[in-house]
Amino acid sequence: MELVERYLQAVKAALPGKQSDDIVQELRDSILSQVEERESTLGRPLNSSEIAEILKKMGNPMTLASRYGGRRQIIGGSLFTIYWKVLTWALTIALVAHAATSIAIAASGKPFGESLAVFFHFPGVALKVFAIVTLVFAALDLLGARLRPCDHWDPFKLPALVKKPARKSKFDLVVQLVLQAVFSAWWLTGLHYQYLVLGPGANFIRFGPIWLKIYPLFVVTASIDIGLTALALMRPDWGQPARAVRLLKHALGLLLLFLLANASTLFVPADVNRVEWQPVVRSINFGLHIGLVAAIVATLVNFVRDGVRFVRQLFAHEQQAAMGL
Amino acid sequence: MPHIVDNPLTANQEVLENLRLELRRGCLILAVLAELRIERYGYTLRKALADRGVEIDEGTLYPLLRRLESQGLLMSEWREEDKRNKRFYHLSKEGKSVLKQLTSEWNAISQSLDKLLNGVA
Repeated sequence: MELVERYLQAVKAALPGKQSDDIVQELRDSILSQVEERESTLGRPLNSSEIAEILKKMGNPMTLASRYGGRRQIIGGSLFTIYWKVLTWALTIALVAHAATSIAIAASGKPFGESLAVFFHFPGVALKVFAIVTLVFAALDLLGARLRPCDHWDPFKLPALVKKPARKSKFDLVVQLVLQAVFSAWWLTGLHYQYLVLGPGANFIRFGPIWLKIYPLFVVTASIDIGLTALALMRPDWGQPARAVRLLKHALGLLLLFLLANASTLFVPADVNRVEWQPVVRSINFGLHIGLVAAIVATLVNFVRDGVRFVRQLFAHEQQAAMGL
Repeated sequence: MPHIVDNPLTANQEVLENLRLELRRGCLILAVLAELRIERYGYTLRKALADRGVEIDEGTLYPLLRRLESQGLLMSEWREEDKRNKRFYHLSKEGKSVLKQLTSEWNAISQSLDKLLNGVA
């Protein structure tokens, strides 16, 4: 019977302390009753293999003990839905804040490594956010908080139906791809041969040095743009990868805009000796800087919106996978 | 060399097994409550259920008894029988009332399902 006691000892180790002796005593009686019944059928004492067989039927000691535990989750029921939403929002905000800080550091002209280092802090911050949100909700659940959606809800107050934009036809996408390729070629060549972009205006003004400094970024952004259209054309069902690439494009766009906005002169006079052109060029630079600030705000809004959509979709897919849908 | 899988349950069988367990869960509670109109200890209760065609393993039965007792539906006491201490369970007053309500619920569901499932199997 040593085997039985070893089994009970293993069960007891995993049981909640309060009732463990009582539960073990009851289980002992049940096992011994089964042993006695089998012995009376066979007319002899059971050997260790036969006893082990009975114990195996009782189940793994850890599994058996776990069935006595009343509380199995730290955040349960409807509270979990709210917890999940708060957690995704908190993590998204943390990610956007890090991205914004990183871009701001890059735009201020500090070394690239310093800008990148901000992202290395993110996993630690994300872990802290996760821990804090989880602890708060676990405490609420433990205290029996009733943070559940209200029963007295009004169907008429539900958000308006979101209309999905119609998917572009293949023809539209091909036209878009050709136009993007032509525009990219024009723009990237035009930065070197400025008369292509500025036309006769190239006799009066020229691009400032910043445009060629960030030339590789223009190349990458144009490639991503073309790649996105090609992806929509070839694999229209790859929504999530496309969203991830679009997010990267917005981030690059933000970096481009910040770098441009940070440059003191976007355009310089074609002839530095023509003093009368200086005020005109200053006005152009001033106007463009204002335009760049507006573009930064718009791109930032797009970046945050697409970031939230991406994270939502990501978690929705994970939830569906977890639910086996 | 072909890979040998220890657990040959297919995804479909796994879904079926989960659904079967879900279906049985509520029925087992009703069966246990019904059987405990007469005082029994765990081992004899399991045998009595098995004799009536309701198989339940110890790992499910004993925790279930504790849960039903903590919900006030069962009462229990330790008593000596056959030179060993055994925990005897019986329905509490509240348990009797709940059993009555659950039984009428069961009958209603059973009747409806009988009509719905007519000709399925």
